[in-house]
Order: sequence, then C-alpha cells, then structure tokens
Amino acid sequence: MTDVPSNPAPAKSRAEIEKQPRGGELVIPGAAIAFSLYYFSTILDSPWTAQVSAFFIGAVLILLSLVFMVRTWIELQRGKASLRFTSLVNRTDLSSGRLGLFAITLGYILLIDWAGFTITTYFFLFFSMLLLNRGRKAGFAAALSAIMALGGYALFILAFDTRFPEGPFEIFMKAALNNGG
Amino acid sequence: MEADLGFLIGLFGHTLTFWWVIIPTIFLGLVVGAIPGFSAANTIIILLPLTLAMDVEVGLIFMVSLYCSSRMGAGIPAILVNIPGTAGAAATPLDGYPMTKQGRSQQALSMSFVASAFGGLLTTILAIIAMPVLAEVGYYMHSVEMIVVMLFGISLIASIAARDMLKGLIAGFLGLMIGSIGTDVVYATPRGTMGFLELYDGVPLIPALVGLFAVSEAFIIIEKKSIVTDEGREIMAAPSWAATFEGAAIAFRHWWHITWNSIIGLIIGVIPGAGASIASFVAYQQSRTYSKTPHLYGTGHPEGLIAPESANNGVTSGTLIPLLILGIPGGATAAIMLIVLQYHGVNFGPSLFFDQPELAYGVFTAMAITYLLMIFTILPLSRYMSRVTLVSTTYMAPMIIAFTLVGSFVSREYMFDMYLGLVFGVIGYIARRTNYHVAAILIGVILGPLLETYFLRALKKSEGDLMVLFSSSLGNILWLVLIASLLMPMVLGFRRRRAVANTQAGT
Repeated sequence: MTDVPSNPAPAKSRAEIEKQPRGGELVIPGAAIAFSLYYFSTILDSPWTAQVSAFFIGAVLILLSLVFMVRTWIELQRGKASLRFTSLVNRTDLSSGRLGLFAITLGYILLIDWAGFTITTYFFLFFSMLLLNRGRKAGFAAALSAIMALGGYALFILAFDTRFPEGPFEIFMKAALNNGG
Repeated sequence: MEADLGFLIGLFGHTLTFWWVIIPTIFLGLVVGAIPGFSAANTIIILLPLTLAMDVEVGLIFMVSLYCSSRMGAGIPAILVNIPGTAGAAATPLDGYPMTKQGRSQQALSMSFVASAFGGLLTTILAIIAMPVLAEVGYYMHSVEMIVVMLFGISLIASIAARDMLKGLIAGFLGLMIGSIGTDVVYATPRGTMGFLELYDGVPLIPALVGLFAVSEAFIIIEKKSIVTDEGREIMAAPSWAATFEGAAIAFRHWWHITWNSIIGLIIGVIPGAGASIASFVAYQQSRTYSKTPHLYGTGHPEGLIAPESANNGVTSGTLIPLLILGIPGGATAAIMLIVLQYHGVNFGPSLFFDQPELAYGVFTAMAITYLLMIFTILPLSRYMSRVTLVSTTYMAPMIIAFTLVGSFVSREYMFDMYLGLVFGVIGYIARRTNYHVAAILIGVILGPLLETYFLRALKKSEGDLMVLFSSSLGNILWLVLIASLLMPMVLGFRRRRAVANTQAGT
C-alpha cells in the first residue's frame, strides 16, 4: 500500500529539489580517464616491463569510471539526479574565504623559497587569520602568528636542525648564534 | 633461539633501569609522530650523530622507544583534526574524528592509547614466544604471495567506502595510477611524470599524505567556526577525568578486539614491505566484517578506532622480527635501525640470538617497557590534548596548512614537494566534497609502486606467463581468502537486509 499524494504538483517540485547533484561527482572519474590516457601515451613505445602493470591498473580505472558514468546517466534518465555542481562549488565557497585562502597558500609556497620559513609563515598566518576573521582581531592574529612562526623556528630549525627553506631571518640568526657561540 | 624465563625476567629488570632514556623519548616520539612529515625514521636520521655516539644498548633502547611512541603519537592528530601523523594511522580518523566532532575526543584519545599500548605490549610478548615460528613467514612470502597481499590491501579500498563501493574502487585505482608515476624499475623509462624530473623517483608519500589529509581538511573545516558540533562543545566545556577513564574502560571491554587486531598487525608486520598502513586497513575491514554493528562504523564507533590502533602497534614488533632473524628490515624505521646497529658492529641473523642474546631479546623487552610506561605517562594527557579541538578554525586552518605544507619539503628538500602537497590538497578537497574516500586514494598511492615491483618480479621469473600468479599453494589459498573478503561484506549485507525486511514484514 503506497501513499497517494493529494496534490501531485508539490510532490513533483519536491522530487526536483531532491535530485542528487552528480556533476561534481563526475570530476574525479573524468580526471581519472584523462590521466590514464595521458599515462598510456607516455608508455606506448616503452619496453613491456614499463607497460604491463600500468595498462592493467589504467584499464580497470577507465572501466570503473565508465561504469560510474553509465550509472549516473541512468539516474539522469530516471529523473533521480541532475548534472549540477553544487556538491563541489556553491555560494558558501565565496563567503567562507576559501578562494582567498587558496590564493594566500599559493603565495606562501611561491615566497617561502625566497623569504625563508619564519618570515613567510608569519605573513601567511597573519593574512589567513585576518581573512577568515573578516578583518577582526588583527592584533591577536599578529601576536599569534609571531608566536607560531618563532615557535616553529625554535622547534624545527634550532632544536631539530630541520632543513626548512632559509631566508634573511634564518641567515641572520645563524650568523648571530655562531658569533655568540 | 628460545630464551628461558629467568633470563627474560633478568633482562626486563635490566632494561627498566634505562627509564631515564625511555620516558623523555616517549614524549619526543609523541611529538614527532603527531607532526606529518616527522616520522620516527626521519627523527632517527636527524639525530643520527647522537645515536651513533651513544652506547649500543642505549642507542637501541632510544630507537625502539621512539619507534613505539611515534606510532602512538601518529594517532593523536588523526583523532583530533582528521590528519594522520603517518600513513600507518590513515585508518584511525575513520571513526576517531567523528568521535571528536561529537565532543568525545577525550574518550577517543584514551581509547586509542589503551588499544595502542596493550596491542603493542601483547604482540611484543607474543613476538618473544613465537619468534622462531613467525620468522618462517618471511621465507614463504615470494613475489606471487606478495601480489595477493597487495591486492588484498586494494580490495579493502572498496570496503572502506562501503556506502558506494564503486566510488571506493575508483578512488583506490586512481591512487594506484598516481602511485605508478615515475620511472619503471627495469629500464628507468619515465612514465606519467608530465616532464617533472622530481617525479622520476615516483610520487613522494609525505606530500601525498599532507595534501590529501591535512590541506584538504583545512579547506573543509573553515566553513564552520569549530570542528566540534555545538552539542560536542557543551560536552567538552566541562572536561573531567571521568571521560578519560570511560574511554579506557571501553577499550578494556573490547580486550578481545585489541588482541585479535594486534595479532593481525603482528603477522602483517612480519611481511617485509607490507607495513602499518596495510595492517590498519586490514584490521578495520576485518573488524567491520565480523562486527555485530557494522552500520555504526564511520560514525564514531569505538571498535572502528580500536581495530586500526591495535593493529598498527602490533606491526611495530612484527617489523623487527625479519630484521633480527633474517637481516631484512620490515619498514623504513627498521631499515635505519639496521644501519645504526651495523655501524656498532652488530651482525643480524639467527647467530645474534646465541652471540648477543641480551641485545636480540633486549629489543623486545625495551619495547614492552616502553608500552607499559606509556600507559602511565600518556593516558592522563588525553584530558588536555583534547582541548586542541576547541581552537577556532579561523586560527587552526592556517596553522595546519603552514606547518604541514612545509613538512612536505623536509623529506627531500624540494620546493616542488610543497606544490605537490597543494595539488594533492586540491585532489583531496574535490574527493571530500564529492564523497570519494581520501584514504582510498592514499592507500593506492602507497601500494602502486610495490604492486608493480612484485608483479614484474613474478613475470620475469615466469618469462611473461601470467599463470605464475596461480602457481603457488600459499598464493592460491591467499587468492581464496581475498575473494572471500570481497564477497563476505556483500553476502552479510544482503543477509542483514533480508533479516530486516523479514522482521518488518512480520510486524
């Protein structure tokens, strides 16, 4: 025995709302197929030892990705899914500062080789915290960033002698400590 | 090779006098284990001048204590912030992190500490007793058997993402494909490297770990002010010792679970190259398959946390068995120990147990004492460690990104690895948002090169005949176990659904 909706129109709109947004879920299978084909192109003229394992893994990966795409296509045909990308990208991504944080992270990696660990980490932490706090508590962010950057320098570079990227601060400190010692 | 009880008790008492080395090393190990990119292996390398200068006995105890405590330390960030300290703890967040989100991080930590310590202690004792038998396992594992063990690891990928097995398999095989990047082992032909020389040696694991788990997680958590739910924050607002004891009590109630999964870890640890990451996933999958409550796995279920933590600590003693008996290191840390001990003039092999029994068995007594001392030193800390999760994500996310990305630089000192960490972060972010399991991708990346090596070795021996894969009796038994482990969850799931349907039809 099934419930019969008294008014079919709202039920239909609810069904549309409940359609699973599958567009984002197709990104990984799509990328997997593209990467496998690229990989195959790099081993076409190689000896069999370089090919055998990759062809096996790549073929299975392409097969699985195609099965997923067919399954999604069937869901689309049945009206259970849509090709929207809302599971991957939506308005929250803009308001949460996620894109800004990504840009600052990219800047961090670009600058760390030149400015060294301590200075770059300080500015990265400060600007990221400021961005995520929407400009509030700048003083606290500056103090916390300084503590974390200097703490990181003391723990990793001074205590563990870890080879982090070096810049003006690390070079100055090394010279100062060597002269002091 | 067997040692009498009196000798072992005497050795135990002698090792206990080195508490002044063990206790500080436990805290050092916890710190280095908790920081992605700072494994025990890295730390021993960093402290190599110190280790080489030490007396051989002190050096050995230091390395063993660091190894055990870093294994336990790797589970702390996995539970608190969903970032495993090492690949061996990659299965820990599956249930540990949901517990944190529910405000039960204190219980989760104490549960993890008890499971790790007792799992490690138990397998250490078992290793001493069963050393001659376990050593035999190493002799029987050839290329074909290793391929099946690797495929067994891959089959777990599908089970991990049980809500959608197809997505789990896609994620796992994508990881395997990424893991195949680099030159081939025979002719050094570059494959899938996109022209980057830095990828000729294959995809480095630290940037993959950092990106898939840490960076992607940092970009996810900024949506909310705290990683803990509002209800969880209320629970954590009034921390008490009761939560620590409750977690420990839950772990003790699952003593059989700890025993069974740590033994799985011990056996897998004996197989060279298999390691803690495979052991923890095997344990998780087996635990869920035979559980009375498999539907609770992934939601913060104690069994789902206890299983991988017991197993990856069981591996610790297992990896040292082939090292001591055959001179074959079971993992990276064991390999570095081998180098340090050989520098001190120690010769590995069965003769070590006759020539220097105090050193051979001393490895395991040091391990046992480390695990015992860890219970008393670490368990009380869970109350304070769990407070980390109350830090606002606006401060936590940038710190996670900065310190883990720079950690990916450490292993090879290539700037390229930091970019690679970010690329894996993007892959991990897309995977998380679209419900592909990042752990499945990671285990694929780990297994990819290993699978290829054993595959090529087997085919070389058989001159290209694929039937070699079914030429060994042990291999064929393992094939059957593999097929059974793939079918078992499906069959059990079908039976449960049918039972539920029958119950509903009856009411």
